[in-house]
Amino acid sequence: MNKSGTLDAVDVVIVGLGAGGGPAAKVLSEAGYTVVGFDKGPWLRHEEHYSGDELKFQNRSYLWPDVKLMPRTVRSDVNSKARIFNFSPVPSNVGGGTSHMAGWTPRPRPSDFIFRSLHGDLHGASLADWPYRYEHLEPYLTKVEWEYGISGLTGAEKGAGFRSKPYPSAPLPPTRFGKAFYDACKKLDINAFPLPMSHITKDNALGREAINRTSFWNQYGDPTATRSSVATTFIPDAIKTGNFEVRANSFVKEVIVDDQGIAKGVIYVDDDGIEFRQEARVVILALGAIESARLMLLSKSRRFPDGLANDSGLVGKNATFHEYIFAVGLFDKDFTDPLYGFTGNYQSGGSMEFYETDENRGHIGGGIIATTQIGQPINMIMPGKPSWGQAAKDSDRNFFNYSMKIGFILQDMPQESNRVDLDPDVKDMWGLPVARITNKPHINDTAMSRWQINKNVEILEAAGAIRTMPVYLGDEFTGNSCHQQGSVRMGVDPRKSVLNEWGQAHSAENVFVLDGAGFPTAMGVNPTLTIMAHSWRCSDYIAKVYLKGRTEKTVLEPLKNLGRK
Amino acid sequence: MISKSEWEIVPLTIDPDSSKKLFFTDHEWETIEAAAARIIPTDNDPGAKEARVIVFIDRYLSGIDYVYAAADGSGFLRMSGRDATAARASNEIFKAMYREGVKDLDQLAGDFGSKNFKDSPAETQDRILEKLSGRPKPEPIRFDIHEVYYSRLQGNTDQDKTFFDTLCLHVRQGFYSDPVYGGNKDQIGWKVIGFPGPKSLKDTIDGTYTTDPYFVHDVSWPELLLDFKGVAVCKVSCATEGGVCCGELEVES
Repeated sequence: MNKSGTLDAVDVVIVGLGAGGGPAAKVLSEAGYTVVGFDKGPWLRHEEHYSGDELKFQNRSYLWPDVKLMPRTVRSDVNSKARIFNFSPVPSNVGGGTSHMAGWTPRPRPSDFIFRSLHGDLHGASLADWPYRYEHLEPYLTKVEWEYGISGLTGAEKGAGFRSKPYPSAPLPPTRFGKAFYDACKKLDINAFPLPMSHITKDNALGREAINRTSFWNQYGDPTATRSSVATTFIPDAIKTGNFEVRANSFVKEVIVDDQGIAKGVIYVDDDGIEFRQEARVVILALGAIESARLMLLSKSRRFPDGLANDSGLVGKNATFHEYIFAVGLFDKDFTDPLYGFTGNYQSGGSMEFYETDENRGHIGGGIIATTQIGQPINMIMPGKPSWGQAAKDSDRNFFNYSMKIGFILQDMPQESNRVDLDPDVKDMWGLPVARITNKPHINDTAMSRWQINKNVEILEAAGAIRTMPVYLGDEFTGNSCHQQGSVRMGVDPRKSVLNEWGQAHSAENVFVLDGAGFPTAMGVNPTLTIMAHSWRCSDYIAKVYLKGRTEKTVLEPLKNLGRK
Repeated sequence: MISKSEWEIVPLTIDPDSSKKLFFTDHEWETIEAAAARIIPTDNDPGAKEARVIVFIDRYLSGIDYVYAAADGSGFLRMSGRDATAARASNEIFKAMYREGVKDLDQLAGDFGSKNFKDSPAETQDRILEKLSGRPKPEPIRFDIHEVYYSRLQGNTDQDKTFFDTLCLHVRQGFYSDPVYGGNKDQIGWKVIGFPGPKSLKDTIDGTYTTDPYFVHDVSWPELLLDFKGVAVCKVSCATEGGVCCGELEVES
């Protein structure tokens, strides 16, 4: 490589090597194209850098992004001044969020792809159908489950969409709090099942070793690769082809575009602050929905004065963030067996009983619930826990092993006013304007939060909790699930969307956005599996159709029998 | 610039019984140790004092040498680049915060008629901490009330907190973090609450440490789940042969 300046052109550059960039790197390099993948963070190796060190991973930001170096700002409406806040933080390193995530990887439901057809217009929201359907994604969901490594119990989720292959790995046995959850659900006639997870267990069909049963899981890097991570699966697959190069510690600051709206490549800064120009035939953005939108807005050109491919003015808008909310139950240690809330690979039993719309609940849509760890000692989760003195010591001692939590992924409704743009005042460590998030929950979000968390309280009570603590969505999202969707919407109409069904920009044909940014609605499941399957599907298209000089349309059959009045 | 992936391991260890001070003066050490003993008091079980939380805090405040333990616990990482610059800036803030905080504690002690914080009776120390925190001393958990809460971020950094909240968090961290950081001596903190933590960080990376016995192994899925009768297995093996499944999954209990 030169000291600076322009590098030899490649077929494809991928910006961001997380859940979106990983599958693209694999698919395109395996198809024979030369691919360079950028990540602004380091390339950490699981066997060398990760451990069960709670302080390092949960409190001292070894993987969490440092808000001082990479700030974001947030405000609740356009008239307020944004404040610096680590909104929706995701690790900045090769592997991205998959390096430390709890790893819930449930499949979406067919209803997720036709949300507007099912519900019509919702006042104040911008509901839309996806430009493809569940059946188009299903083969790719299966590929990811098998190539990445997902465990689950095939056939246990009532109402699941069609699947072409069972899970390649059995789930973990239940934790004690998981069993309490299953028992309570049974009592209440609620369908529950072991939550599909991005990890593998013994005797899996993939021939991979399953070692980690330390319970140091959510927010930790896994030293054993028992957890499936992009850095331990797709990236090594891509490297094996000889066509793929990782450029870590390399910050892409601009996508270069010519006057016809064709991307020429990217400009990036390496760890020593030296600037390079990397040209390519195709530019894939997969930085996560917040940073992908930001990079597009930063990439102003003569053809796109308002940001890359932003003819519709929609880049950054309609963002959704999946607040993670929950309820905690405390149990009487004199009358209960210990629940060992620190155990398990974070999550245990889950349910999608409340996933599909039931208008009797007073809101539309729904989401997945699951019982999850209380956490390890420093960060034990108990809302309102006494912070010092005898009461603090007693609450730790009495409830560390005698409490449980049931969480919920809140499916927030897309709203044009919930958006990402460039902060006019705050800059990051590269001197560029940071992402500013403007957001306010929709009334449906607040109603969904209330209803579902109250239901979680009911399940905790059925499990025998003597005190319950509901944690609802407040006046603003915090981005605490680290899920990001919607900011660079896909759709069939270029006036109402930025990308088509292949994640391809309507107005910049060699630019593809392959993270959750394209998702027109948030879904009620964690997005990672869907992001990977979506990226795989679109990358297949790039390899087999676009780079062969052809185009293809996804056929959408008319929807029948939706049951709408 | 040395990337985070290349940070060297410095073979430093921390002796929890050490009385050597890397940051605090003698007076500051005794004051913070006394305050920590009110934050996690000693009762039938050991508290912050026995766990050597003071050593944990002193080493953390001393600079950026003790921020991240190596994965296998064999030493600490030598931070570099922007991360190091940011960590040094935070460290300066904490140093000033603790220096001022000790002065505030002594000054408040004066308001209660004591000459300083560390020599005040425990009851007075609690009143001083209460005053410093601006909130009443926390009461025991009650079961006859219903309170609601709102969501917040995961992770729990010590950035942008008041001195009192920082101190509470650092004491908690010193009581419960891996003993490699100088606190939680002999895993005292873990024993108090019944956390069967690993013997060493090394045990967490090589498969030695397992929480498997704390899972439930003696119940089958069909017993546990409402709608599940057995594992669905592809009898035709069509999909595993690389084809598309015909959908003829059979249930095997």
